[in-house]
Amino acid sequence: MPSGGLLFQSIILGLLLGGLYALLAAGLTLYFGIMRVVMIAHSAFLILAAYLAWWTNDRLGIDPLLSLVVTVPLFFGAGVLLQRGLLSRLRPATLTMMSVLITFAIALMIEGLLGYAFTGTQRRIQLGYGTASFELFGARVAVVKLIAFGLAAVSLAALYTLMKRTQFGWALRATIQHRDAARLVGIDTERTAGFGFGLGLATAAVGGTALSLDTTIYPSLHWHWIGPLMAIIVVGGLGSVPGAAAAALLLGLAQSLLQIPMGATWAQTVFYVALFATLAVRPQGFFGGRLAQRF
Amino acid sequence: MRSPARRTTGALVLSAALTLGLAACGGGDDGGGGGSDDPIVVGISLPLTGDFSEPGKGVQEGYEAWAKITNDKGGLLGGRKIELKILDDQSNADRVVADYEQLIGSDQVDLVVGPFSTRLVVPSARVAQEYGMLFVEPAGAAAEVFNQGFKNLFYAAPAVADDHYNHLAEYLLALPAGEKPETVAYAAMDDPFAQGTAYGLKKKLEAGGVKTVVDEVYPPNTTDFGSIAAKIAAAKPDMVVGGSQYQDGVNLIVALQQLNYQPKLAAFSTAPTNPEFAKAIGNKTEGILSPTGYSQDAPYESNKEFVEKFTAQFGRAPEEDQANGYTTGQVVAAAVEAAGCAEQGDCQQKLIDWLHSNTVDTVVGPLKWDATGKPQGAHMIQQWVGDDIKIVLPADAKEADLVYPKPAW
Repeated sequence: MPSGGLLFQSIILGLLLGGLYALLAAGLTLYFGIMRVVMIAHSAFLILAAYLAWWTNDRLGIDPLLSLVVTVPLFFGAGVLLQRGLLSRLRPATLTMMSVLITFAIALMIEGLLGYAFTGTQRRIQLGYGTASFELFGARVAVVKLIAFGLAAVSLAALYTLMKRTQFGWALRATIQHRDAARLVGIDTERTAGFGFGLGLATAAVGGTALSLDTTIYPSLHWHWIGPLMAIIVVGGLGSVPGAAAAALLLGLAQSLLQIPMGATWAQTVFYVALFATLAVRPQGFFGGRLAQRF
Repeated sequence: MRSPARRTTGALVLSAALTLGLAACGGGDDGGGGGSDDPIVVGISLPLTGDFSEPGKGVQEGYEAWAKITNDKGGLLGGRKIELKILDDQSNADRVVADYEQLIGSDQVDLVVGPFSTRLVVPSARVAQEYGMLFVEPAGAAAEVFNQGFKNLFYAAPAVADDHYNHLAEYLLALPAGEKPETVAYAAMDDPFAQGTAYGLKKKLEAGGVKTVVDEVYPPNTTDFGSIAAKIAAAKPDMVVGGSQYQDGVNLIVALQQLNYQPKLAAFSTAPTNPEFAKAIGNKTEGILSPTGYSQDAPYESNKEFVEKFTAQFGRAPEEDQANGYTTGQVVAAAVEAAGCAEQGDCQQKLIDWLHSNTVDTVVGPLKWDATGKPQGAHMIQQWVGDDIKIVLPADAKEADLVYPKPAW
């Protein structure tokens, strides 16, 4: 029987991990919502952002969080270009399937370029506060995990506000719901989709930087992340940012708690059990997923 | 152990005798073997691309250093130069089989030596055995390698995974009752090598009465070590042992520090000997132990020459992967000189028989093997002491005293 202390510690760790998952998954669900694009390269962009954060810290001596000033707009621009220049050329009828192939190729290219530019040597950002923590009712909270959670909270709140409270957000949600109808009421859906895609990749810049604070990175690391993230967006309901956030917190917590009785190997299967259960029982997802009813 | 000079003299005499014998036969067919001044061709398939490319290239450098250093000293068997034929198996087990088939069957190399990792060593050793070839390998340490029934295989390292920590186990179990650690936590990657190192120590400590309080196995794709660290921290063991590769060891150590857990002893395989280790964990390395097969500082005779000449050739000092390749070459060279031959055919069995009966001095110390090719030694134990990693065990190789209990992270 695990002690109450271990249980509470695992809850804390699970929530912090869930927050990180939410940040990493938010962009992924946006892509699918916007264009029905399965963005396999999302996690490769996360690792690219992590490397840029590492480079900023290691070579320039600047705190890795400051790399966000450059990487967020850079990734936004890359997202717009990627959507307008590449994905928009795919035929609507085969868009989703072809996007798997094209973004898979992009992921491989990013991995190869990272290996070429930074070598296969595994890197970790060295921070004075990297192992710092404080106590919360007997459990330890790591500063870097809290920072990552904070970045997730701020980013998701900003994204939510943007989607709900701005004209661009309304246009984007309309495009997500029904592209043709949106066009009929005068929305430039191509431009909106491009910016929406840029927004998704901008979240990858934030997510990758958050990831870099507390993990050792190497070029092929993205393959370890894309599976759980895909599971999260399905459980949360494709296209639903709040759904992705809720699913991420739930699954992160479940993974952390299940490690107590089951160990790390079996605990990570919670993502795939949840994915299977979702598709079997509620294919539109458990949170907010009216959109998915269309598939 | 025969002296190098006497061995060389014996080889020269044998070589001269063979030459006279051939002359007496009136220039008859030499049976397909090389003449006395032909190069000795050594075939190798290595993972130069794919998952194991970085260690694969390291081993390649070790072989290249061995060939160059040996050739600069006149070669083997009284003047025959070593020539390497290296193929890329792309870290792929099917490809490695095709490569060795090609090297032995088609290219007719004189000798073959092994690739990197258990996953590639097992299939390639099987090919070599089918052709009756000697197979000395640099980096297949898992138990799986030695239960295949190979008669021709020799692992050129001080110990297999299960025995890496033997010196540390002996040291700890010899401590007086009040000082000996009573409880241990283990966290090992689900990988035959990483798990083997940790569980080898676990088996010996449990036999000595040290209790296991946490025993975690995690898959290679684990990205979050917080929960594993939480279980260890909650159990408060005296000692923590990581069966790690690199990033997992680093991630676990940082996670343990974040949870404010302070062990009396922390031992991790592989990770602490990586050049990036100190940088990765912010110089909070003090007292961390690791088994190692190789150290640039090890006091073995041929190691000084190796470090000096390797550095001259490649512009940096050798690490473990390079040393593994070099050691393999040393083992093969010793057998060749002793048996007086290097070609395919009956010669291979002479080489195999000699290695089963003799000890070879190498850059990682003296090596000898059991019938399965398992080395019968133990790894040196290194510890981070004063911002550097130093050999602390065994006593005859140590550079510093083992620090126990360990200072705060």
